[in-house]
Amino acid sequence: MDVPKVSERRRWLLGLGVTVLAVGLLAAAAAFGGTQGTASATHANAKGGYGEVYKASPKVLAHTLFKATLLPHNTMARNISLAAFGRASKKVNYNLALKCWKNDGCSTGTGGKLTVAYVEPFGENVYRHISKMEFILQALTYKSIGKIVYRTAHSNLNQALADFRAMIAQHVSAIVTYPDFADAELPVFREAKKAGIPVATYAWGYVSGPGKNYTTVVGENVCKLGRAYAKIMNTYVKSGDIAFMGGFPGNPLSAGWQKCEQPALNKSIHVVANEPTNWDASKVQQVVSGILAAHPNIKGWSYEYGLGMAQGAFAAYKAAGKPFNAVLTLRTDDVGMGCAAKKLHNPKLKVYYYTAGNSQIRVALTALMMRLKGAKIPPQIVFPIQLQNEAKRTECVKGYPTEASATSLVPVKLLHRMYP
Amino acid sequence: MPVGAAAAKEQVSAHGRTEGVVLHTGRGARSLLADALVGARFVPVWIATAALLLIASIIAPAALQSTSWAFVLPYMTVLAIAALGQMLVIMHAGIDLSTPGVMFLGGYLIVGVGHHSNGRLGIAILACLGVGVLVGLVNGILVGILQLNPLIVTLSVGYIVAAEGLRYANGLAEAEVPSRLSDFAQNRPLGISAVFWAGAAITLAVALLLRYSAPGRRFQAVGANPRAAWMAGIHVRAHVIFAYTAAGTLYALAAVLLAGVRVSVDPAFGASYLLAPIAAVVIAGASLAGGLASATSTWVAALALTLLNQMLLILGIATGWQFIVFGAAIIVGMLISGDRIASLLGRLLRPRSAPTRIAPALDQDTG
Repeated sequence: MDVPKVSERRRWLLGLGVTVLAVGLLAAAAAFGGTQGTASATHANAKGGYGEVYKASPKVLAHTLFKATLLPHNTMARNISLAAFGRASKKVNYNLALKCWKNDGCSTGTGGKLTVAYVEPFGENVYRHISKMEFILQALTYKSIGKIVYRTAHSNLNQALADFRAMIAQHVSAIVTYPDFADAELPVFREAKKAGIPVATYAWGYVSGPGKNYTTVVGENVCKLGRAYAKIMNTYVKSGDIAFMGGFPGNPLSAGWQKCEQPALNKSIHVVANEPTNWDASKVQQVVSGILAAHPNIKGWSYEYGLGMAQGAFAAYKAAGKPFNAVLTLRTDDVGMGCAAKKLHNPKLKVYYYTAGNSQIRVALTALMMRLKGAKIPPQIVFPIQLQNEAKRTECVKGYPTEASATSLVPVKLLHRMYP
Repeated sequence: MPVGAAAAKEQVSAHGRTEGVVLHTGRGARSLLADALVGARFVPVWIATAALLLIASIIAPAALQSTSWAFVLPYMTVLAIAALGQMLVIMHAGIDLSTPGVMFLGGYLIVGVGHHSNGRLGIAILACLGVGVLVGLVNGILVGILQLNPLIVTLSVGYIVAAEGLRYANGLAEAEVPSRLSDFAQNRPLGISAVFWAGAAITLAVALLLRYSAPGRRFQAVGANPRAAWMAGIHVRAHVIFAYTAAGTLYALAAVLLAGVRVSVDPAFGASYLLAPIAAVVIAGASLAGGLASATSTWVAALALTLLNQMLLILGIATGWQFIVFGAAIIVGMLISGDRIASLLGRLLRPRSAPTRIAPALDQDTG
């Protein structure tokens, strides 16, 4: 076969042209998918795909993320988030949602062929109950979902694994979970993957190998959370003693932020204690009173569980007869913490918090729904961190239960029906 | 003395669990020493606690400061009250694992029935105590009448109660107890927590009832040897049922105090009281095989466990080592408590050739 010969010069020119075109396309893609500005993010991506519209109400975004600019940097992750939060504005049947919430699942009445499951290894506090409602409300926005299933294992690992396997055996379409037992749940994640069932976790419920062992994890970068804590401590404590508290000994969440906060602290700030609390308010009280006894001039506390801090530390300071003059950096935005701080009315108590992330379960479900339509889901959907100052943006939201997260997207009137 | 009672005491002696061996050959210095040692089966926990206080004053003085006591005293009281309940059951060779379930449901009843209203606090406390009585009664009937294994039965009943607690908690939005209860818990008459005074009073009442009242003595007799007690005409089953019922009531009382101390209730409420009360009772000198026990020693054991925990925390020991030291301390406490050392010393001091007479079991100090 004769092939017309191309001169050496023309080949070079062709190559150069293709290169310039490719660079131009990449630059354009980067510009549209950039990380700057959410106002542009909400509108610039107001297209969609995989059955979703990548657009959300700025009001909803501001409520659940503090600022509309705090969306994930990754383009696809941001689109998924916009689609998920966009659905939060859709009207759903609250009577059906409540029935579904009370009965731990329901048929949606749409005749949809899909079944989605929320598998809870713990499931016993208001935070998780609200997550369940967020999941149900989000699922009810999809006509293709005909059935919603909920399981809770009451902190029993064997039961949690059995529940997960039961969902696989029933061939549900997608599973969302908060993996309280972390990598101990890896075998069932892999079984789900093998069975072709997409799985997502939320609120940084991290299990090894997102993208490989399961579809995706939604949450924040816990190392950056630690650095954000350090920034607050460096600014407001400046020098002196502070303490870390964590959840169960060795849990990856606590270890994640602690290992990044410590090196980011001023050299004149000393971490005098690092104690686990099992996220139990009684243990918090014990730890705080013990550390207070040994280090009476402690100036700051870094921890995750806002309500535990409110229930345990406030009581410990009161029992010790000391004013609660300290800087607190917390991960969750529990209403009870905000209200306790408000009640104390002490300007020397500075509380900085992030979010418990109830609404991230909506992102997890939407990511799985998009996956079912063939979308390539990033292994991590990571939300940027911006700690909030309690004095400027209180967590004490009127009408919310004490244990609820102030950034939840469950409407207050529905919350009142959930907890009459 | 009725023939039955004499037979009962002989049976108690033959059982050889709780009673001392007194030398027959005169009341010399050696026999008095042996008597004292044998009678003092509950002393080791007092000595160990004194040693702990001494060690704490040297290596962790902060553990003995007011800030630390502000935590230790109320929490040791809650543990002591739960342990007193467990003690009553253990005295009858039983065990009760329904403690966390009762405390969990009881705590949420304080919140739910109390509903932020001080006016409803009384009824909330009654509801909490009522649950304790009911659960204890069920345990007692299943163990005392139906002769079911107490370990399995109380664990199962505890699960059922905890499940009911979860169901009840699911409908509650609030978590705080009525303010009058938390105000009471934070009151400090004479500079010490009101919860501590309440606990001390309850402990004293239990000790006095067991030691000086006729029903208390009968209760001990059944625990020391049920067969002998039955032969003596005592209603053994009724006493077993009473032991579990009283235990359930004390767990509920512990829940009321804990709710006051903590101000609010969460899903972990009461969870740490599954094994800690049993450890306190055993360290205090009681045998899991049944027999006599001391309310005051149990109270001291609760203090020692809570103080040790606090001391390890203040020392800043790594969490893993805290568990190791705490576990080792419980094992050592069990080794030196009860009649183990007393029996050993008794054997060493007893003349080999001399016949022995068995001391009446019920003359031992049980207060």
